[in-house]
Amino acid sequence: MNSFADSATSLITSRPDAETRRRAWSMFEAAGLPSTLDEVWRYAPLSDFDLDRYRVPTAPVDAPLAPFATSLAGLSSCVVRVADGYRVVDGTDVKGVTIDEAPSSLAFGGDDPFERYASDTFALLNTALAPGTTVVSVEPGVIVHEPIIIIHSAHATASFPRTQVRLGTGSSATVIEYYDGGDGAVVVPVSELEVGPNASLRLVTYQRLAATAWHVARTTAILDRDARLNQSVLGMGANYNRSRNDADLRASGAQNELRTTFLGSGVQVHDFRTRQYHRGARTRSTLLAKGAVAESSRSVYTGLIEIEKGAKKTDARQTNHNLLLSPFAHADSVPNLDIRENDVVCAHASSVGPLDELQRWYLESRGVERHDAERLMIQGFFLEMLDALPSSVARLVEDDVASVLRSVAVIA
Amino acid sequence: MSAVLRISNLRVAVGGKEVLRGFDLTMRSGEVHVIMGPNGSGKSTLAHALAGHPGYQVLGGSVRLDDVELLELSPTERVRHGLFLAMQQPMEVPGVRLVDVLAAAGVARDGLNERMASEARRVDLRAELLERFVNVDLSGGERKRAEMVQFGVLRPRFAILDEIDSGLDVDALGSVARRLAESTTEWDCGVLAITHFRRLLHELTPTMIHVVSGGRVVATGGPELAETLERDGYEPFRDTSAS
Repeated sequence: MNSFADSATSLITSRPDAETRRRAWSMFEAAGLPSTLDEVWRYAPLSDFDLDRYRVPTAPVDAPLAPFATSLAGLSSCVVRVADGYRVVDGTDVKGVTIDEAPSSLAFGGDDPFERYASDTFALLNTALAPGTTVVSVEPGVIVHEPIIIIHSAHATASFPRTQVRLGTGSSATVIEYYDGGDGAVVVPVSELEVGPNASLRLVTYQRLAATAWHVARTTAILDRDARLNQSVLGMGANYNRSRNDADLRASGAQNELRTTFLGSGVQVHDFRTRQYHRGARTRSTLLAKGAVAESSRSVYTGLIEIEKGAKKTDARQTNHNLLLSPFAHADSVPNLDIRENDVVCAHASSVGPLDELQRWYLESRGVERHDAERLMIQGFFLEMLDALPSSVARLVEDDVASVLRSVAVIA
Repeated sequence: MSAVLRISNLRVAVGGKEVLRGFDLTMRSGEVHVIMGPNGSGKSTLAHALAGHPGYQVLGGSVRLDDVELLELSPTERVRHGLFLAMQQPMEVPGVRLVDVLAAAGVARDGLNERMASEARRVDLRAELLERFVNVDLSGGERKRAEMVQFGVLRPRFAILDEIDSGLDVDALGSVARRLAESTTEWDCGVLAITHFRRLLHELTPTMIHVVSGGRVVATGGPELAETLERDGYEPFRDTSAS
């Protein structure tokens, strides 16, 4: 195999749904890779990106789980392991939860995936090259007490994990998605969440890939009537970390709380994109995007709140705080509003600046050294994201976050 | 060994205005000193300046703990030398837990949770409240008691308590006062309590009471001074040299 395209062809021809995959692949080829001239890709280090450095795996690379992933897996009896996009192990003893595999072009929320991803090069790649879709379903009315843990490891140079989480009417679940590995690799996850009427999903995504990885993730949620989605995204690793999170609040009373955070170090670029699309009446979205850039890293946050005509009494709020930890670091914030209904409450705020001086002084006045106070406060960005988790899981992730933060020179 | 805290001719400005105008006070460890005075007399300014609040500018004077000039030290070093401030309005620090703060302040992690729980019991605070992020979702009175937990764990040589009694109900006030009184014998702590109310002194017998007005001490006396203040108010003590 001489090129990425050759390896892609091998994968595609080996799959039963090759025809649909070929369609996605040809759409990708027609569109080509994005360029930094394209506004939504302006901040990506695309000049260093060359697909021919990567090969699509036709089977998962056999590698043991890293220690943190092993500990995480030990905390639930509902664990799905995905290696290089391939579902390798799953065990669920939990009643009302099923884990299946479906074709990568599986429709979602009644929408044609080709239409949804037509203008998204990387999502098209995922549609062509994901080994399959891991589908986690919770039956109507089932309250799942244990967290459902999905562990993604990347050892091949390219991986295209694809996940669907479906919650039936009135059900409730907590899902944790964890990503590790990815040294010198491209990791392109597509996740789709379908939260049924009056169902409640808590989702925490912890991205902890190697600092050499390219990570381009897209998550789309569809919220039905009175559905609730509480989502936290923690971006730690990758050279380029792009995380797009969309929520389609398509029926009345749906609620979406989204919190994202990251710590940039080295020459990392963190690129967070969000879209809260309000279609139903009395829908609510609260978005808090917080992050810190250290060393020579940079970040961009682009958020769109879109309110359709007829989505009366919608309440949509968006807040973005960026913390600059170095004179060489840079943060951009681009909030956007598109409102086609008058009877709504909509607010956005953004700031770029240092840590709160008085909070820091309070910690210092307890006997904490300034750099420790700052480290604790930055770590706090992440810890705030974890309070939706059961405490056993939260503590484990907290310890891991703390160990990563200690390795970043300016705040260690 | 007895330690001495000596505040001499301290002058402090807030927002360009001189609020403390030559403040003097000397106390020894194991003693309880109480500062009383009308609103705006400079009591909280004293507390904030001693703890190195960034919004307060020291114009002159000296604060020595034994031979160490505290004003030359960072806020962190001041606590580590033994001067602790329990704040009137303790700040929320989202995402940060008290146990991590105390560990970062140099307290051994081993047994720390137990020490926090035991200190919490002594001031009638539910220990699980300390598992929340620092002061987040705590009521005013709970925050005051959380300050007392930190005091008990850090065991400073001198503690300034800025209106520790405000926001506390009568029962909590009693247990806080007892905790402070016990500290004077437990580890010979010097207690400097700023208060408006004599009630705190029912179970915390002061060595000395200082009346502050116009940014300096205008009267000093024994416990009987609190009774005089309660009867006559601050008017007889008002410092008129300010204007």
